[in-house]
Amino acid sequence: MSTKIITPVREFADLLPQEYQDLVARGPYFEPKGIEDLGTFKEIIEEHPHCAGCGVSLGIRLVAASLPSPADTVIIGTPGCSFFGLTQTAVNYSNTAFGNQNAVASGLKRMLRIRYPDQHKDVVVLVGDGGIADIGLDLTLHSWFRREKVTTIMVDNEVYGNTGGQESGMSKQGQVLNMAPVGKQFPKIPVFEMAKVSGCAYAVRVTVASPRKVGRAVRNAILVAREIGPTYIQIYTPCPTNLKFPPNRTLEVAREAEKDYYAYEEFITEEAANYLARL
Amino acid sequence: MYAVAKVDTEKCTGCKLCILTCPDPNVFTFYKEVKKVAVNENRCKGCGLCAAACPKEALAVVSV
Repeated sequence: MSTKIITPVREFADLLPQEYQDLVARGPYFEPKGIEDLGTFKEIIEEHPHCAGCGVSLGIRLVAASLPSPADTVIIGTPGCSFFGLTQTAVNYSNTAFGNQNAVASGLKRMLRIRYPDQHKDVVVLVGDGGIADIGLDLTLHSWFRREKVTTIMVDNEVYGNTGGQESGMSKQGQVLNMAPVGKQFPKIPVFEMAKVSGCAYAVRVTVASPRKVGRAVRNAILVAREIGPTYIQIYTPCPTNLKFPPNRTLEVAREAEKDYYAYEEFITEEAANYLARL
Repeated sequence: MYAVAKVDTEKCTGCKLCILTCPDPNVFTFYKEVKKVAVNENRCKGCGLCAAACPKEALAVVSV
């Protein structure tokens, strides 16, 4: 998307809804905006049907606010809770069949490199744990093995939320869910550890309880993916509806997990660190 | 019954923690001149995350 496209013709400007006019007048496209500026500009996500207190929607909101150049970004999604918020974004968005997101992103990235050889076009995969760890694990790993320059972001809510609470590969061992009454029988899939050995140049594990770390990680990951190689971010976004806690405790739950098994961890290759230092 | 967050403008110091914890976009607006936040009640879902995060107890979730 270019800002030229979203700017309406002067004669029709007053016919457009107020929300759209706000987006053109106060959107984040024209000057760099970060997480610190939230609340002072019109955000690129619109009203979405996520539950009250949803961690996934908070994760998506923080990611969208920290995109380094939203006008030159394509977000790829896949069915799940995550795409309820993403279809309402004012950036280019493509939905895929379940699990195909990294294959689609690889193709789009290659095509955009041919079409715009002298411009950076960021391709960001933003999907849930089902899309990356369960159904799309092979395509995700293969895109890392091929060193596709794509940023992969997982919003990990540890459950299949929109279909009623089935256990996912990323659920905690022993977690009792609506459709896993005896608890999950095997541990979490170590996708973060796989990313480190599969060719990712930059990988971060973080929770929504530290928004500034999320913002920094997203910005670094997208910049590294422009030049060096694939990057991966795993954001813990607890689900109050299916993990059965009150919606105002989402951040508390995330903070407890951060102290326990979801500690902040950053992996960066030497090449990527040198590149970031040069910027 | 609907629940929304309300700001006590006397207690609000403009630390913006509520803005960083709200899962819904465009609910909070920050006014630089007075260093205070305002809630768009039509968009608020009343989850109470902002009230849990506010260090000054300036936010409360009330039913309307």
